[in-house]
Amino acid sequence: MLGKKMKAAPTMRDLARCLLTYEAGADKASEPMESPTLRVYEKLRQSLAEFAGVAAFESLAFRALTQAKSEAPSLWAVKVAADGSLQGLARYETQIDMDKDLVGEFPAGDGGIILIARLLGLLRLFLGEALTLSLLRNVWPGAALDNCNSENGRKA
Amino acid sequence: MSTEDKVKINKLPTGVPGLDEIVGGGLPEFSFNIIAGAPGSGKTTLAHQFVFANATPERPALYFTVLGESTIKMLRYQQQYSFFDPSMLPGSIRFINLSEVVLEKDLGAVLEQITKEVEKASPAVVVVDSFRTMVRKPESDMDLQSFIQRLALFLASWQATTFLIGEYAEDELRDNPIFTVADGLIWLRQTAERNSIVRKLQVIKLRGQDSVPGLHTFRITDAGVQAFSRTFGLTSRKRNPPSNRRLCFGVPELDKMLGGGVPEGDSVLIAGSSGTGKSVLATQFVAEGIRNGEPGIVAVFEERPEAYAERATSLGLDLETPQTDGKLTILYLRPLDLSVDETMQSILDAVQKIGAKRLVIDSLAGFEMALSPGFRADFRESLYRMIFALTGIGVTILSTVEVDESFTQFPFSTYSISFLTDDIIRLRYVSIDGQLRKILVVIKMRGGNHAKDIREYEITDKGVVILGKRLANYQALISGIPIRSDRPNSADEPSLDNGIEPKT
Repeated sequence: MLGKKMKAAPTMRDLARCLLTYEAGADKASEPMESPTLRVYEKLRQSLAEFAGVAAFESLAFRALTQAKSEAPSLWAVKVAADGSLQGLARYETQIDMDKDLVGEFPAGDGGIILIARLLGLLRLFLGEALTLSLLRNVWPGAALDNCNSENGRKA
Repeated sequence: MSTEDKVKINKLPTGVPGLDEIVGGGLPEFSFNIIAGAPGSGKTTLAHQFVFANATPERPALYFTVLGESTIKMLRYQQQYSFFDPSMLPGSIRFINLSEVVLEKDLGAVLEQITKEVEKASPAVVVVDSFRTMVRKPESDMDLQSFIQRLALFLASWQATTFLIGEYAEDELRDNPIFTVADGLIWLRQTAERNSIVRKLQVIKLRGQDSVPGLHTFRITDAGVQAFSRTFGLTSRKRNPPSNRRLCFGVPELDKMLGGGVPEGDSVLIAGSSGTGKSVLATQFVAEGIRNGEPGIVAVFEERPEAYAERATSLGLDLETPQTDGKLTILYLRPLDLSVDETMQSILDAVQKIGAKRLVIDSLAGFEMALSPGFRADFRESLYRMIFALTGIGVTILSTVEVDESFTQFPFSTYSISFLTDDIIRLRYVSIDGQLRKILVVIKMRGGNHAKDIREYEITDKGVVILGKRLANYQALISGIPIRSDRPNSADEPSLDNGIEPKT
């Protein structure tokens, strides 16, 4: 492939955690009431809907949520609307625990991370790692995504 | 108007190997083009190659997808091609999906959306894939022609080179007003010929460009679309002036018969039935060239290069070392679905890579069999173009051809292609004294004199060796069943036409 060589990819969970942490930091400055998961999800939705169409995003999001629910049953009330938006996450989001001491493990409260990780995992499955990271860099130009390995992800 | 006063139209690289030559050096900047063809013919891949070759962060490409193939799946497949650089997305190449606008609104809204995105990004390249799917809504307020007209005007003003991709069948080409708007129309065809698929492209229209007319073969590989121009990319190259040099076979008596060797830049045909030593002579020709510092190419179709080199070793000819030294390339052209143009491109690449002076095609029958059935009908015409192009750049071509032995005829080739060759050497079996022996005769040399003698030869561990003098004590030798005459074998040297003395 002609593309520039990407660094070793972080796992999708680390990448998701990285993005949520980044948005949580941004959250304090701007919209404190909106959950980081929702902010990450919405940015992905806007970017991917423009790129691939609303219907394509909705399909991916629905699949990601189905996968995430099997891992985090507490997401049972969350739904994906026809326009791809996420419904029912806000009240659940308060349970999310961004526990910085856990390595590679996610308590039930980390459903938001799991959902985003599943969505990113599907993107990687279909588009490949390089293109997925390239798209994410465009949405989060300020986030150091290459450093989102298990250790750095939590330091971000 | 002087040349300086005329507007200069920049030509953009297509990113498709071979296509720049076909379109006359590149696609005109700011042109409005349609890529048409049936599903699976390579339209999207061709557009992607153009986009990846021209998009930059400063002047990006906008790739509008409409209905049909999902963008995610399209990129999943397209990134398998070597030209696909994921780091160019989305900075230099932005994909924008218009399916909701198309489904929920009309063409006016689609135009509005495209306008908005173009004004925002100021792209160098715009692709709409596929614009055809947009007009399948009968209630559309704007007809397609009006949409295309306005889109073309708008995008030209914004200095964008544009491609509309559309699925069209052959019969839709005629009287279609859509095509009158376009500056360029590239048609991709894919047809099944017996068990083979033949892909051809045609530049039906390209304003302001001296494109190469006709159908050009193309292939889709892991590098994307590769086109093979009918002119083999040699239109801009001048033909070499005629040379007086003679190229030897390294078979002294044969070289004498040829008046010192084959004139450089000639096309030579060695014809004979199976086992007469055509390949042996061809191998000697290329080996002699290497000995004289003339790199060579051997295109084989019927056996692997290793086997070919091994057989040469048994004749005392080393083809391994010159291959290692870059003085010889043995091309094995896979025997399936080839077009002459593709074969030619492989040969040309090899010729240019090592600066080859001698080319052996062993054999024409194998070459023909390697072609897709659809191309066999055009074999003679394609062969003519190939030989003309190669000899024009100074390459001397030696082809072998198998002919069926006949006791009533003396054919030179089964292809009726002797008009393609400057020189013909005929090998054949004869029955003499209860033995099946071999004779050789130079039938024709377009550029010089040659011996008229019929000579007996043998294939030894040194290759073809011509025996004794000419067979003067036999009549009807070329019939294969000669009659002994009372005249003794001639003691003369081989005689040449017009009384010219042979060179030694």
